[in-house]
Amino acid sequence: MTLLDGLLLLSLITAVAMAWLGARAWAGWLGAGLYAGQLALLAGLPMPASSAVSFAVLGHTLHWQMGALGWFFALILVAAALLATWYAAGAWRRTYPRRRLLHVTVALNVLAMLILLASGDLLSLFVGWELATWSGYLILTQAGGPAERASLRYLVYTLAGGMAVFAGVVLVDVQVGSLQLADLRAAVPELSAGSLWLLVLLFTAGFGIKMAFVPFHLWQAEAYAETPGPVTAFVSAISARMGLFAMAVVLIQLIGPQHLTALQVPFTFLDAQGLLAWIAAITAIVPTFIALTQSDARMLLAWHGIGQGGYMLLGLMAGSALGAAGGLMHVFNHATYQAGLFLAVAAVIYRTGTSDLDRLGGLISRMPLSFITMLIGIIGLAGLPPTNGFVSKWMIYKALLNGEQPLLFIAAVIATLGTILSVYKLIHNTFLGQLRVEHHAVQEVPWSMRLPMLITALVVMVTGVTPGLVLDAVAPALEAIGLAAPAYHLGGLTTGNGNLDMVWVGGALTFGLAVGLAVFLLGSPSQRTHQWDNYAGGHFLSADIRFHYSHDFYPGLMRALAPAYRGSVRWLEAGLVTLVELAASAFQGLYRAAPLPAYLVVGVVLLLWWIQAS
Amino acid sequence: MSPALLLAVPVLGAFVLPSLHRASPFASRVAGPLILVVQVALVAALWQQAVVHGPLVIELGGLPAPMGIAWQADQLGLLWCGALALLALVLWPREGHDPNRAATLTLLLVGAGSGLALSADLFNLFVLYELTALASFGLVVSQGTGAQAAATLRFLLLGATGSALALLGIALIYAATGTLNLAQLAQVTPGAMSDPLVLTAFALLLAGLGVKAELFPLNTWVPEVYGAASPRVAGLLAGAVSKLALLVVLRLLTTIFADTGAAMVLLGVAAVTVLAGELAAYRAQDLRRMLAYSSIGQLGLMALAFSVSNPTGIAAGLALGLHHLLVKPALFVMIADWPRRRPQTRGLAAGAPWSAAAFVLLALSLVGVPPLPGFWAKLVLLQALLGTGGGPYAAAAALVLVITVVEAGYLIPLARQLYSGEPAVRVRARIGRGVPLILALLLAVVLIGPVAQRLDQVASSVPGPATALPRLSASEPGQP
Repeated sequence: MTLLDGLLLLSLITAVAMAWLGARAWAGWLGAGLYAGQLALLAGLPMPASSAVSFAVLGHTLHWQMGALGWFFALILVAAALLATWYAAGAWRRTYPRRRLLHVTVALNVLAMLILLASGDLLSLFVGWELATWSGYLILTQAGGPAERASLRYLVYTLAGGMAVFAGVVLVDVQVGSLQLADLRAAVPELSAGSLWLLVLLFTAGFGIKMAFVPFHLWQAEAYAETPGPVTAFVSAISARMGLFAMAVVLIQLIGPQHLTALQVPFTFLDAQGLLAWIAAITAIVPTFIALTQSDARMLLAWHGIGQGGYMLLGLMAGSALGAAGGLMHVFNHATYQAGLFLAVAAVIYRTGTSDLDRLGGLISRMPLSFITMLIGIIGLAGLPPTNGFVSKWMIYKALLNGEQPLLFIAAVIATLGTILSVYKLIHNTFLGQLRVEHHAVQEVPWSMRLPMLITALVVMVTGVTPGLVLDAVAPALEAIGLAAPAYHLGGLTTGNGNLDMVWVGGALTFGLAVGLAVFLLGSPSQRTHQWDNYAGGHFLSADIRFHYSHDFYPGLMRALAPAYRGSVRWLEAGLVTLVELAASAFQGLYRAAPLPAYLVVGVVLLLWWIQAS
Repeated sequence: MSPALLLAVPVLGAFVLPSLHRASPFASRVAGPLILVVQVALVAALWQQAVVHGPLVIELGGLPAPMGIAWQADQLGLLWCGALALLALVLWPREGHDPNRAATLTLLLVGAGSGLALSADLFNLFVLYELTALASFGLVVSQGTGAQAAATLRFLLLGATGSALALLGIALIYAATGTLNLAQLAQVTPGAMSDPLVLTAFALLLAGLGVKAELFPLNTWVPEVYGAASPRVAGLLAGAVSKLALLVVLRLLTTIFADTGAAMVLLGVAAVTVLAGELAAYRAQDLRRMLAYSSIGQLGLMALAFSVSNPTGIAAGLALGLHHLLVKPALFVMIADWPRRRPQTRGLAAGAPWSAAAFVLLALSLVGVPPLPGFWAKLVLLQALLGTGGGPYAAAAALVLVITVVEAGYLIPLARQLYSGEPAVRVRARIGRGVPLILALLLAVVLIGPVAQRLDQVASSVPGPATALPRLSASEPGQP
């Protein structure tokens, strides 16, 4: 038994232990401990780590091997599970009755994704993919109610994606005669452009549906937002990224960027890589602007999760080491701030019972630590220094500019603009402005929930100032899929035409803030106003009139953008469903038709006449 | 040992059983299953012989090929004989309305079905097909309800029309070639029959066999009969009998109709069958009818695989067939205690946790979730379809993938619903007869490698047109 087997076994033990003991009061702590054990095993894993287990079936050998790329994703996976379980272990557990199910589904998801991340050939990749899909269904559907419908939509989408992958795998088998990664890599140059296109499209669509790329973006936000509390943080941090992992393996490691750029899209200037980059850019824009219209904190963040996935693929498809490093690094960075944001929202729900942005406000005075977590989180999400989100986005922008892709760069900037607007709406409507009367008695959440939250915020800041820590894991991952790693150091990167040193950026920011603070404290006398004092643009409002502007945020912008929200993909989806329903009722009607023998006789007479004639 | 024993033993048993019942009810209760156990042992012995010596061809009555009644005990036929006997054993009628009559008919069905699987000439095939049909008509009405009688009448009308058409097809072939022996036909047909004639004959035979094989558009009886018959009988018909008819289609396709357009005809029919079955199941509100429609879809998949008719395709068809043989009867007997309407199953898991869990397992295997056997069966099917190349086969592969999503679209919400909310009435449901089938399915998960290897071996041992005439002389070892 190798160390990788040990890791998978411990993951299995976690799932079994949660199924057995998950209802106990201390189950969450046990789970967190087991995830910590998995994290320790993961840290000690040699690269690449092979499994001693293999199966021979139908002339193929399934085996498992975790490379640096899988390790990078696995690190995020297990850490996210650890923090989410920790968060759920303490006081939070009393708010959720089906704790055992929650712990089991998280553990099963970790197991399934570890199996996927450790896949050593295309068949085991597909098996792992399906396992992750189905365990994902379990985790998304557990809350019942609206989650039941949303998770079914998830299942139909991802299963359709899975079938596209299935077709791709079988096509590889038929054309290459083997499903081993090395054999496919060797055979790619001999494949015709047509079959290579087919493979690229099948795999991209299949894996991309998990990432909810446009036009497959409709399922994700609702399905993720309807999961219970900290589980939302877990799924948003890692689940969808399995699509990116699989895409990196198949499109970059196996097919290779040089073959992607050789595939021309007919009648355009685009090649396959450019096409994917544009899909990524559109995915960065469209869901972000949908997020802007949301009035529920979890839905807003979940829509952003889709948009940020677009950045990751955009980086990967920017065609340079810098871009690919930025894309992969964004997976880690996004996981950290997104988990922090969802944990902060879960804290708000824990205390107020709602995440409706129209029914919150002013919580900063009651929940300052949750506010700080959310503040750091949204700075990361918006991609501003000194957080880690800035570093990865800087790398992606830089790669686009260096790669002479100004249009893609502009698209990325537009998406960032939407992000900044909507995260401001999020933090304003939740924490700023006036406190509502019913929230006067609200307190900060207990320490069992504060700590995981603050840890994510700390990671966002620390890896923001010293991105070299993350790049230490990204660089071998890039090399594992055959890409070069950019030159980096602890504080940032050195590129041919520009350097980034976050230690300096962070230092300058801190210095600037310190100067500002000093001026504020030592300068002109300031007046302290109460949180309930109103300012209403010249209108006179006394302090006893509650005034918190949250409903219908950005009305002017929304009016200007209104024609863009046509919901054409929604129409397409509804049309497809109606088509299946219609066809189904047509066939069902056929089974009620009675006089079949008569038709048969007529058919036979026609057949005999045909023989006679020919 | 003669393969004819596989026909003779159960049929004789069926004749003896009613009188035995009058003499000693206990003895007749024991005798039925015992006969099936003997049958399984016979199959095992013949299987050994077939593996070592190759297919065994026997001419009953000692006359050579064109005249005698030929039997062919190859691995393919024996596999289904064994599966049929084992399934009948699992679903053996012990309780209910007049179990003795049902037992007699089941034995008759096993005998006729085994004979059908082993026949090597068209005449036998036709006679035994009719016998199988008669036994299954009897089984469907065995509880004597009005709905059963009405369903059977429609089944009978359709079956009779189909049989007449099949007979016409056989007559066409006989008129053109002067023989009914499959092996001989395989060699004679290409010269003796023109293309339209061959296709017409195939279409007519397909019209006859398609009734039992649940092929479109001859499967209109399926939802009604499976909805009305006892779950046990529905399981037996959907699980084994329908596949025997499809097996005969395969036999025709690999011998007489090899290298003709017949494969394309079957491909088209199968594709529409898959589409019709699964889409109708998507809308079905009655659970039994839903399973019936789903069975149509699965049979369609099997027919798709057989239409490839190379060893990979045959292996895929066998894998799909055996998988369905385990899953569908288990589902039919399992939901016997459930409420029949879909919405009423909400929260059923609270009262029937094992039954609900088994449903989830079986549904996942039907959809084809790895590592359950249904996944491997679909994998081989896709390998067969995409490996053959050509537009129609690629389109069929795409259809299989799309229809899998539809399949999940009606099975998974149902499975989910079992676990949501508290039911109005707590239903107690047992898995009952489904247990051995589910255990076999789980065993197949572990043994998938060897099972796949064995199926490959069976598929490549299927005699093609060139090898279909192995030993026409009457000198067989162990011949009576």
